Amino acid sequence: MRSEELKRAIYRCGKCKLCSITTFHPARDYLPLCPSGTYYKYQAFYAPGRLEVLRGILDEEVGNTGELLKIAYGCTLCGACHEKCKEISSIDLNHAEIFEDMRNRLVGRGILPEAHREITERVRETGNAYGVTTKKTYPSRRSGDTLYFIGCTSRYREPEIMDSMIAVLEAIGEEFSILDDETCCGSVLFRTGQRDAARELVERNIRAIEESGAKRLVFTCPGCMMTFKKNYPDLGVELLHSTEFIAQHLNDLKVRHLGMNVTYHDPCHLGRHLGIYDAPREILNRIANLHEMKRTREQAWCCGSGGGVKSAFGDFALWTAGERVKEAKLTADVLTSACPFCKRNLAEASDGMEVYDIVELVKLALEVQS
Amino acid sequence: MKESLKQIVGDEYITDDSAICYSYSRDQHWNFVPAKSPACVVMPGTREEVREILLFANKNRIPVIPWSTGINVRGLTIPVHDNSILLDLSRLNRIIEINEEMMTATVEPAVTFGMLMAATDKFKLRPAFPDAPLTVSVLANNYLRGIYQTSSADGHDHTLSFEMILPNGEIIKTGSRAFSDDMPYFRYGVGPDIAGMMAASPGTWGVVTELTLKLYPVYDLQQAYFVGFDTVEDSMEFIRNINRDELVESCRLLDHHSYITGLFGTFDYDYEKLPEFVACILVAGIDGIFQAKDTLVRDHIGKSVGVLLDIPEKLRTHFREETLAGSEKSCMVFGVRGNYHCIGIYGPLTHVPAYWELHKKAAADAGIPADHVYFYVNPIGRFHGQLCYVELDIFYDGADPDLGKKIQEYNRIQFPRLLDAGIYGWFRPYAGIIEPTLDRIGYQAELWKKFMEFADPNHIMNPGKLF
Ligand SMILES: Cc1cc2nc3c(=O)[nH]c(=O)nc-3n(C[C@H](O)[C@H](O)[C@H](O)COP(=O)(O)OP(=O)(O)OC[C@H]3O[C@@H](n4cnc5c(N)ncnc54)[C@H](O)[C@@H]3O)c2cc1C
Ligand code: SF4
Ligand code: SF4
Repeated sequence: MRSEELKRAIYRCGKCKLCSITTFHPARDYLPLCPSGTYYKYQAFYAPGRLEVLRGILDEEVGNTGELLKIAYGCTLCGACHEKCKEISSIDLNHAEIFEDMRNRLVGRGILPEAHREITERVRETGNAYGVTTKKTYPSRRSGDTLYFIGCTSRYREPEIMDSMIAVLEAIGEEFSILDDETCCGSVLFRTGQRDAARELVERNIRAIEESGAKRLVFTCPGCMMTFKKNYPDLGVELLHSTEFIAQHLNDLKVRHLGMNVTYHDPCHLGRHLGIYDAPREILNRIANLHEMKRTREQAWCCGSGGGVKSAFGDFALWTAGERVKEAKLTADVLTSACPFCKRNLAEASDGMEVYDIVELVKLALEVQS
Repeated sequence: MKESLKQIVGDEYITDDSAICYSYSRDQHWNFVPAKSPACVVMPGTREEVREILLFANKNRIPVIPWSTGINVRGLTIPVHDNSILLDLSRLNRIIEINEEMMTATVEPAVTFGMLMAATDKFKLRPAFPDAPLTVSVLANNYLRGIYQTSSADGHDHTLSFEMILPNGEIIKTGSRAFSDDMPYFRYGVGPDIAGMMAASPGTWGVVTELTLKLYPVYDLQQAYFVGFDTVEDSMEFIRNINRDELVESCRLLDHHSYITGLFGTFDYDYEKLPEFVACILVAGIDGIFQAKDTLVRDHIGKSVGVLLDIPEKLRTHFREETLAGSEKSCMVFGVRGNYHCIGIYGPLTHVPAYWELHKKAAADAGIPADHVYFYVNPIGRFHGQLCYVELDIFYDGADPDLGKKIQEYNRIQFPRLLDAGIYGWFRPYAGIIEPTLDRIGYQAELWKKFMEFADPNHIMNPGKLF
């Protein structure tokens, strides 16, 4: 983004702070929406203050202060502020993208959290964000038009999601392939402003996908999918999230109702950033009793792990997840989501609540039936 | 300074980090109030801490800027002097009491209109709402005399009493609160109306830590009407009659594509097809009275030269919510062209057509395009003096420095013209209006300064904001 474009966006902000709360009418609930501002409290951590700090960076009036790292990177890039703001200010840029650009500028000046530097190193060395060196192998699958892009978190931290998705794909009867040597999509590097470091990954993945001949990529990680959509060139392949794919095949699947009272947490990448709200609900309505939290869909409270926050500001990430779990507990018995990052962070803060990815529940619904 | 303040509020709630301070350095009034950072931001958690901070600042003659929610749109919390303490009161966010019986609420500075409405709703009560976002401080708004509200029937003064800490640490309790903290429900206790004297001041006397305000009933029976007029003059008789007879809960006369976007809650409507001016009316009341008022209002509409407009139900619902349950979308004024500027005045309805002409003329004289010029009139009950809040609005691209200069010029020429034409008052004190006003108010200006000198001899309270 050019500085002038950013400045225009900054000058659009009237400092009304409506982006800090959910829509009031008609429910008349006054609920916080911005995790960063709510947690860190000072104005700099709300969107209007952060925009102001960006102005200072662009005008070279703000240097590397002690707190600048936290201001720039202590934001989950959840985009909730943008959902509110766009109704009011008709701003044309997206706040999450603006704040990502802010990071990119700081990275250019060598200002980034150590934890993010380390992730880049790990990705460089191992091809995955967690630095796992023991390669995970799967029964080689090289057939069909569909490629399941697993992503680092499902592969190395939340393998139940991956296993469930594979089981569901098999149950659907879909011919699909998996990349043996899957490389990180680069999401975490893009989100943390390290665009240059991500480029090599993009190229590697493009080559691998072209070689696979896939016509469709299916993701259980909305972060990966968003990265393919926004940061990759058009590969001429269809990009689908697991929930979209499953919803399309729901009638082909023999699933039964699990009888659970569940609530659904909209992952920011899936909902606000990709606009996918209905497919997860369609599935859940088929296999469970779905109850909505007050902060839902476009105005869902973030799980707290996005934007590199989990790695750099662990306490903030966990607090944010804890707030979500509290809300979920008031709503249902089981908390579901559709993103391995969300599951991981929410589970860590779950305080005894069961947390699942939707594909896990779908698999459970299959198993119960059989 | 940081060390001393840390002793008072603890490490977590004081910062002199220049990036954090920078985030308080500017609001949307940058064409008139240049950006300036405070030296530190401190967040007290109790009134005792507020008091200690004031004592420290007073002793060391450090400027203090009270900040409740910072959304005043007039640069009122932007420091004028170096080395200022920005007193961020956002941790003082308790609703101390909602008294259903007395129809009152007592709040701390960071309680917002949304928070208060969420709490009073179950009692079928509400505060008087400004046309400001629900995120603004109830206390700061009432204390600043934010009396131009969405419901004209609420009248003019909503503040019953407050508690203020002066720079020397003394605590003033106004009205009946002076006798008993348990009975803060009456404006006049003994002697002069101290609350009245200290209100409408941009944090220049001390820090208000608690304020008790009136609540008003929420009626289930409501009916919205939108009446179109081709000219401001055409609407005058109708507006006068319905307000004089006290028939309406809410009444605003707006041009057809500015504030009305907020009342309808959407940009996605063909506003051009509306007549140039629209009177937005809400009738409400208890069973019996509502029907009687409604009949009379319909009668007045029928007799007027206005056209009753057919507005979709969704937009009518939104108007009702904005008006009687808290304004959420008024900020859409930012979305029309990117920023909004207004001169807000009080004046009689009889002068309203003249204000509109003056507005158009001054804008043209300043080189502001005619399609940037908007108008907003809000009659205020009861209707003695035909009191109206009038807003002369310009919606403009805030990123355009050339337009910024033209708007500065607009202010410069418009302030004296309005004073010459006759106004009741400015909507609140802010940059630019004090200078042309002082020599017209005679000894009152001297007296005002002397009172302030008495309360704040070291000039630490938001100095530079008035004189
Ligand atoms: C789109 C829009 C429309 C608006 N329309 C209206 C309207 O119709 N009617 C209306 O009244 N207002 C309107 N406003 C302004 C809004 O109401 C003000 O923001 C509010 O009145 C006070 O601002 P604040 O609550 O953010 O206070 P702040 O910005 O925190 O403070 C405002 C002033 O009061 C002082 N102050 C703050 N707290 C204290 C305290 N505890 N003790 C002493 N001094 C203090 C500050 O130093 C400052 O000078 C509008 C604002 C917007 C953005
Ligand atoms: S909603 Fe938009 S205009 Fe309002 S404070 Fe937030 S970013 Fe600024
Ligand atoms: S992106 Fe999310 S965390 Fe960041 S400022 Fe916006 S609402 Fe707050």
